[in-house]
Amino acid sequence: MKQRSNDWIVGATIIVVMVGIVFSTLFLQQAEFGKKPELVTAHFRDVGGVQVGNAVVIRGVVAGRVKQIALAPNDWVLISMELNEGTLMPADPVVLVQAATLFGEWQAIITSRTAVPVNREVETQLAEVDGAPEGSLRGAVLPDIAQLTTVAGGIAGNIASVSERVRTAFNDSAARELRRSIRDFSILSRDLAAAVKVQSRNLDSLAVSARLSFADVASSANALQRTMSRVDSATAQGEVQEILRQSRQASQNLRNATERFESLSRSLVSAEANLRGAIGKADTILARVERGQGSLGLLVNDPSLYRNSDSLLVDLRKLVVDFRSDPKKYINVRVF
Amino acid sequence: MFETLGRVVREALEAFGQAGSLAAEAGRSSRDLKTWGANFSQQARALGVNSLPIGILIALFTGVVLALLASYSFTGAVPRYLVGTLVQKTVMMELAPVLTGLALAGRVGANIAAELGTMKVTEQVDALETLGYDPVAYLVVPRILAGILMFPIVVGAAMFVGLGAGWAASLGLLDMTTSEFLKGARLFFDGFDVRYGLVKSASFGFAVTLLGCTNGLRAKGGAQGVGSSATQAVVQSAVMILVLDAFWAVVWLLGRAA
Repeated sequence: MKQRSNDWIVGATIIVVMVGIVFSTLFLQQAEFGKKPELVTAHFRDVGGVQVGNAVVIRGVVAGRVKQIALAPNDWVLISMELNEGTLMPADPVVLVQAATLFGEWQAIITSRTAVPVNREVETQLAEVDGAPEGSLRGAVLPDIAQLTTVAGGIAGNIASVSERVRTAFNDSAARELRRSIRDFSILSRDLAAAVKVQSRNLDSLAVSARLSFADVASSANALQRTMSRVDSATAQGEVQEILRQSRQASQNLRNATERFESLSRSLVSAEANLRGAIGKADTILARVERGQGSLGLLVNDPSLYRNSDSLLVDLRKLVVDFRSDPKKYINVRVF
Repeated sequence: MFETLGRVVREALEAFGQAGSLAAEAGRSSRDLKTWGANFSQQARALGVNSLPIGILIALFTGVVLALLASYSFTGAVPRYLVGTLVQKTVMMELAPVLTGLALAGRVGANIAAELGTMKVTEQVDALETLGYDPVAYLVVPRILAGILMFPIVVGAAMFVGLGAGWAASLGLLDMTTSEFLKGARLFFDGFDVRYGLVKSASFGFAVTLLGCTNGLRAKGGAQGVGSSATQAVVQSAVMILVLDAFWAVVWLLGRAA
């Protein structure tokens, strides 16, 4: 009896604990019974740090798990994903794998092609995966957090370098120079203010003087007006108008004479110009003759040429005489 | 001093040599199902079922403490849901098997050593031989098999309870939500974690029962000899649990990581 009791208790304990372990394992693995998962594959050139079991996310909702990662021909990496039954895929779907947390956890995001974040590297990857086999989704790797931190580290390094340069450039000496410059500028500003003040005072006195001068001119103009009025009343008999008329006539005559003189003068100028041109040309020719250039120059400057020409004329004269005396010697006409 | 050191080393080697010899003999005697089959369920109940409370109690407090420790350690940018990850990984892979194993080494190892030691010094073992029973098949094999089978059961229950305790502590003491804790627990969960813990605990069960039997059957003299055997069984079992823990980590975890 006791033996049977032991058997029953041990058996029940084993079964209960085993069931609990199996249930816990399945619960933690998020296994679903009675549902047929949908299998989706995607081609990548590189899958980063994604691993089997990582979540597959659609619009922020975990919709499945990465089931398998395998190398495929033509340098492809093939990821197989199990999606929950009835999962609706977005239009023109692509798969982006990216780090989900700072602790090495990755995830695969299925999203629409139009919703892919603007990133040149991602665009390049997707364009390359366009050549993947039909029936498979296109995939790309979003920049890893490690890459971003590397870039940030580079930027921080550059900032540190710039800061170091600034620190080196802006040393104690530079600070002293800057302080001195500021002090000099302060003195200069004070001097400028004083100069402006003095000039302002001068301008004020100048304005006063000008105002006084204008008053003097105004009083002088009034005096002149009064004088002209008296002159005008004194010449009211018409003598002045006669003098003015005759003066106009004389002026006209003088203008006519002047015009004629100007015309003559212009002719003289033209003639002078022509003469100067002729003299210039003659001077040029004579200069060339003097330098022995041209036939005339050679003739003038080379005695042998003169002599040859003279000898040629003598010979020509002899030839003419000889031709007249005996023409047949030079002309012979034959019919046959 | 040299004499003492030499004696200790010799006795330790003798103990492991006798344990190996007893293991080989138990392997041979395991074919005698009729002899050990009658005692198996009794030993399974004594070693396993009766050890469940202590295993569960240890796991209960371990889960709570782990959750609080993780929450205390994870500050700043570390997300709180990793409390679940830490509790799941450490309870299933390390603390449930090792702490339960150590507790059972004290309870089971000492129990076996004392029981068999008493039988030895009172010549009951000799009487069994006289009656034609194989004392190894009758006394050792059912205990070793019960240890191999029931240690994983106790450890499995401890895993389950430890994880539940961590979850309850996260909800009650750390103001976390169930979904947060489960997200962390599921984040890096692998079926291997359970297999690793259970296989390791089975090896602990084998070591603890074998060393208990070995020390019990080596007992000499009277009650003092029995007490000494029980003490040695506990110490050796505890050491062996730690050695096996390191062994499995090196063999299985390193190989898996590679």
